[in-house]
Amino acid sequence: MSASKNRHAVGHNVEKVDAFKLARGEAVYTDDITRPGMLTAKVLRSPHAHARIVKVDVSAAMALEGVADVIWHEDVKAIAHTRAGQSYPEPSPYDTVIMPHKARFIGDRVAVVAADTAAIAEKALKLIEVQYEILPAICDMDEALERTDVLVHEEADPLGIGGGGKSNVAAHIDKQVGDVDAALKTCDLVVERVYHLPRVQASHIEPHISIAWVDEDRRLIVRTSTQVPFHLRRILARILEMSESQIRVIKPRVGGGFGDKQEMVVEDLVSVLALRTGRPVRLEFTRAEELIAARYRHPQRITMTTGVMKDGTMVANRMHVMADTGAYGSHALTVQGNTGQKVMPMYPAPNIHFLVDCVYTNNPISGAFRGYGAPQGCFALESHMDEVARELGMDRLELRLKNHIRLGDTDPLSAKLGEGREGLARVVRSTGLDEAIVQGCEAIGWGQEKKPSAPHLKRGVGMALAMQGSGIAGVDWGAATVKLNDDGSVNLAVGATDIGQGSDTILAQFCAEELGIPTEKVLVLSSDTDLTPFDVGAYASSTTYVSGGAVVKAAIKVREQLAEVLGSTWECKAGEIIFADSKATGPGGKSMTMAEVAMFALYDAKIQPMATASHMSNESPPPFAAQFADVEVDPETGQVEVLKIVSAVDCGTVVHPRLAQGQVEGAVAQALGYALFEEVLLDRSGKVLNPNFLDYKIASALDVPPMVTILVETDEPTGPHGAKAAGEVPIDGPAPAIVNAICDAVGVRNYRIPATPERVWRGIKEATQE
Amino acid sequence: MWELKEYRFAATAQEAGALRRQGPGKGAYIAGGTDMYLQPVDCDFVVDINNAGLSDIARTPAGDLFLGAATTLHNIATNPLVADFAEGMLIQAASHCGNRPVRSTATVGGNLCHALPSADMAPVLLALDATCYIADEESQESVPLADFFVSPRVTVLDDRLLVGLALPAEAATRRCASYKLTRSAEDISLVQVVVALGVENGKIETARIALGAVAPVPMRAVLAEAQLVGQSVADISLDLVADAAAIAAGECEPRDDHRASAEYRRDMVRVLTRRQIMKALHDETTITKDSGGTVA
Amino acid sequence: MKIEMELNGRAVTHEIDPGANLLSVLRGMGQFSVKLGCETGDCGSCTVLLDGEPVNSCVVAAARTHSHKVTTLEGLLGDPLMKELQQELVDKGAVQCGYCSPGILISLYAHFRAGNELTDHHLREALTGNLCRCTGYVKPLEAALTVAQNQQGGPDEQGGAS
Ligand SMILES: Cc1cc2nc3c(=O)[nH]c(=O)nc-3n(C[C@H](O)[C@H](O)[C@H](O)COP(=O)(O)OP(=O)(O)OC[C@H]3O[C@@H](n4cnc5c(N)ncnc54)[C@H](O)[C@@H]3O)c2cc1C
Ligand code: FES
Ligand code: FES
Repeated sequence: MSASKNRHAVGHNVEKVDAFKLARGEAVYTDDITRPGMLTAKVLRSPHAHARIVKVDVSAAMALEGVADVIWHEDVKAIAHTRAGQSYPEPSPYDTVIMPHKARFIGDRVAVVAADTAAIAEKALKLIEVQYEILPAICDMDEALERTDVLVHEEADPLGIGGGGKSNVAAHIDKQVGDVDAALKTCDLVVERVYHLPRVQASHIEPHISIAWVDEDRRLIVRTSTQVPFHLRRILARILEMSESQIRVIKPRVGGGFGDKQEMVVEDLVSVLALRTGRPVRLEFTRAEELIAARYRHPQRITMTTGVMKDGTMVANRMHVMADTGAYGSHALTVQGNTGQKVMPMYPAPNIHFLVDCVYTNNPISGAFRGYGAPQGCFALESHMDEVARELGMDRLELRLKNHIRLGDTDPLSAKLGEGREGLARVVRSTGLDEAIVQGCEAIGWGQEKKPSAPHLKRGVGMALAMQGSGIAGVDWGAATVKLNDDGSVNLAVGATDIGQGSDTILAQFCAEELGIPTEKVLVLSSDTDLTPFDVGAYASSTTYVSGGAVVKAAIKVREQLAEVLGSTWECKAGEIIFADSKATGPGGKSMTMAEVAMFALYDAKIQPMATASHMSNESPPPFAAQFADVEVDPETGQVEVLKIVSAVDCGTVVHPRLAQGQVEGAVAQALGYALFEEVLLDRSGKVLNPNFLDYKIASALDVPPMVTILVETDEPTGPHGAKAAGEVPIDGPAPAIVNAICDAVGVRNYRIPATPERVWRGIKEATQE
Repeated sequence: MWELKEYRFAATAQEAGALRRQGPGKGAYIAGGTDMYLQPVDCDFVVDINNAGLSDIARTPAGDLFLGAATTLHNIATNPLVADFAEGMLIQAASHCGNRPVRSTATVGGNLCHALPSADMAPVLLALDATCYIADEESQESVPLADFFVSPRVTVLDDRLLVGLALPAEAATRRCASYKLTRSAEDISLVQVVVALGVENGKIETARIALGAVAPVPMRAVLAEAQLVGQSVADISLDLVADAAAIAAGECEPRDDHRASAEYRRDMVRVLTRRQIMKALHDETTITKDSGGTVA
Repeated sequence: MKIEMELNGRAVTHEIDPGANLLSVLRGMGQFSVKLGCETGDCGSCTVLLDGEPVNSCVVAAARTHSHKVTTLEGLLGDPLMKELQQELVDKGAVQCGYCSPGILISLYAHFRAGNELTDHHLREALTGNLCRCTGYVKPLEAALTVAQNQQGGPDEQGGAS
């Protein structure tokens, strides 16, 4: 491991900086405070998928004792924006206002009540009378694409991203390298298949929760469970017509986000109500609201058309994505863009065509969820590789080995696509993919005969390869401030957002490494727009790679300041001083502990050693994963038991082995649900049928199979201490690996996930009837 | 938020009935509350029966098993008096109902009185010929569990109290097997099948096939049961078992819902009934292990 | 209505709404280790002990704790077994966002205290009521198995990790 490179902090399982207070159940999350006079807000949601909100009579609700305020669209200025928490200018259509004039899905905001207690707020909701003008609703993707007589958004998007005003298109992409149609004609074999991906929900255990109040300086304070505090401040300033200086966003500990909190889901409402009432306002989603009115992974239908030669050489590859963004288009362009961009380069054929039609419908809203489009694309591509191999009569591992991306290869699609605008070409400067495949095969026992545990069961294995990015090249950036204290400890202030993944710890390790001090001497403050420098936030696997780069730079600057101060008293060159083992050591045996150095700097030299640095990368080096599944299928009932999942992951230098493993294991558990049982079900009118954990199943301790996690270390030349990213790539491969294993076991493919017992059973039944 | 005006505690079964009928307004019993907090009942007050002496498990000298209505599922799942009754079938059922903390408070009475088609304690109790003891202040009544359910969420109780359940000693020696088919490990039933066979002198004397989640109320497949009665355990043919299973599949009345289609549920009744009969007959050669789901 | 319960070993009197669930009452009393995740008894972030048994406090009537004992994580911070469980959870990297951690700790604590079997499978069963979306349960189980081995004074003889 990297510890062998003589690093004392990076590469070690240091204690996660916040672990103990979390394990003690301390009051550290958004909701663990109360403020005098705090109100609770509740949202009245539309029962109609598509209806104009003509009139809302709030008089009876307002008359109820304990109700402080009720708002609807007449009360709030309509300023078009996107709720997506992305860098400015956001590549998402400005199709949203705080309180809509028209309900666009069952669950859309109609009115919001703020009252002394939740019970009063709920009672008040029942007293609100709404006059709707019901409009025809479109809940089907294909219908939405065809029809222009019914529009989910009648207004044109001011940024011109979506087709608002003319069609229901929320995003369209058509990018080609080479000429796929022409190339397909020259191929020995062309395989076309259609894959269906479900609506799934992040299901972080802490719901969306925000508390807002106006402080004694008349500033708006928003304490919220978010991944994007700085984007949030910017968006709030714009839609509330305030300046950023009047707003402070505080991110306490966050109980999971997974992309679902890369979005302004409730913060605008508590802000408006706090400003109007002058009282603190709290709004927490119920689990039902999470499953109806938060965000989903986009449901997609993906058509893969692939041309190969007899020897397995891939000549042309086309991916056509049809996606449902629901009522609003936050992340519509970029998630769908990622579906191809992060996935297709795995097999860099000379001819690649990537097409997207992402439409608005009157269904609940899709958005960001860990993997950000790649799990869908990876499922389609990696299922398809098995299909191509089968048609070719070639071994599925061999087909992959023949075509996968290698060191030094460029990924042409990235240059064409970028983040909604021309991007930067991506060159692979580090890859452990081959090693991951070798070690993964070994761990799963690839090629060995595996007997089912009972005669009526069938056993199979499957694999999938995956790659992702490390931040968004040329877009994502972050900053860090390092400040030395009297006792040799440092404060590290970062805008980077720890949402449970452990980024505070990783960043503390980088800081400790550069300063030669133990990690516990680094006091991390993360994400308070008043106190920490800027960062785009926790998404796109950017924190370790991008924010880590900022921390390394800032810590080096402080080290240089100290070397300069010491150099002048020790009468040596700054470069001759070494910082290690909590000491500074100069030529001739001169040495001071870090505490002595700090005291000297502060009281003799009278300077505050302190620095802020920013970091951005023009690259987004891909982490790689090879993932394998071993399954047993009961053909009569369609039940699938996953016996083992192996993930071999190259995330560059492993900064913290246990945290990296934890990222992989958590991702595998989420992907297991994606493969086998998670699906938000809608009826034909767009109503969610299973808005609770009783019927929306996420993996429990009894569901997760034994997991083998292998970290294949590489040294990424553009990353801090050689690091890339680990948070997203392991969620991509398990679903296709499991479905490929089911197919290996019973000879029938699930083109649609989740592969529920009933779907597997039906597939087998239909195959035997044919 | 559940708007209740009053929460009352009953110290005895009689008091429970009295407190409920006392008014003012509408009252309801509450035991574990695990169903009530999910779907708050529209009422003014509740009467808590957890300390009303209804939580005992007992075996009579004759061998009958008595379960108080307010016995928790965790208590059933861990009670030695239940362990050797009908090959531990009650333990299987209770320990696969809900999750561990829910079982600490969820009661067997609440499970039956809530009367969902998927109530997980119902099939095993049907297969073991449970009798319900029902009381109000004036009268006591005993009703076979098979007659207890009227329609989804409706039982014969009205506002009377379920005091407990009695299982005859005769059922203690039945050969049993059951299976709860689910989408993930901890889930409500898509289909549940319980088979209990009374065998004497090598012959099946009594046969019970009870099904959950495949009809408006938990049910027995009586026509399929009839196929099995009188058969010799040693000579029973696979075909006959398969026929019985197919008959059971014909008897059930499953519905399409978001959890599964009627077609799938019906076919699973066939498959699982066949397997559970074989398993109950201790034929370990045909079916040795069921994958996935939970072997209940 | 007024209830008297024994909370973490101390008698407390509290005014509650008759229909309130125990979760909301405990949070109102400042027991912030008790967290809201679903309010349907599925996620376990609200797990506490009622007379020593683990319950999901969102589906328990606060009223029924009248004259009963309720224990939250706050009440076990000095308990040697709880400290050991916390230490292992931290050491093994089983605390990611930490939102599920108090509930997981309470469930494990109850399982250990009841003298139950400590195999991988039994520990998974003990955690069926605690959903964790971050860890995939691998590290929490690893931590629990380590404590199990320490408790049994040697390597796990009952099966260990499957
Ligand atoms: C997370 C979770 C998972 C669950 N999983 C399952 C599962 O897998 N399978 C399953 O079957 N159920 C499941 N349930 C439902 C529930 O836990 C069980 O049905 C439980 O046994 C109900 O018992 P209780 O004591 O909590 O009932 P309560 O909620 O107290 O009462 C339920 C109903 O019965 C009435 N009642 C209760 N006792 C009596 C009595 N003695 N006489 C007359 N009326 C009475 C009440 O008035 C009420 O209408 C689950 C619940 C939760 C929260
Ligand atoms: S909040 Fe109680 S179980 Fe989820
Ligand atoms: S650590 Fe986040 S839910 Fe378990």
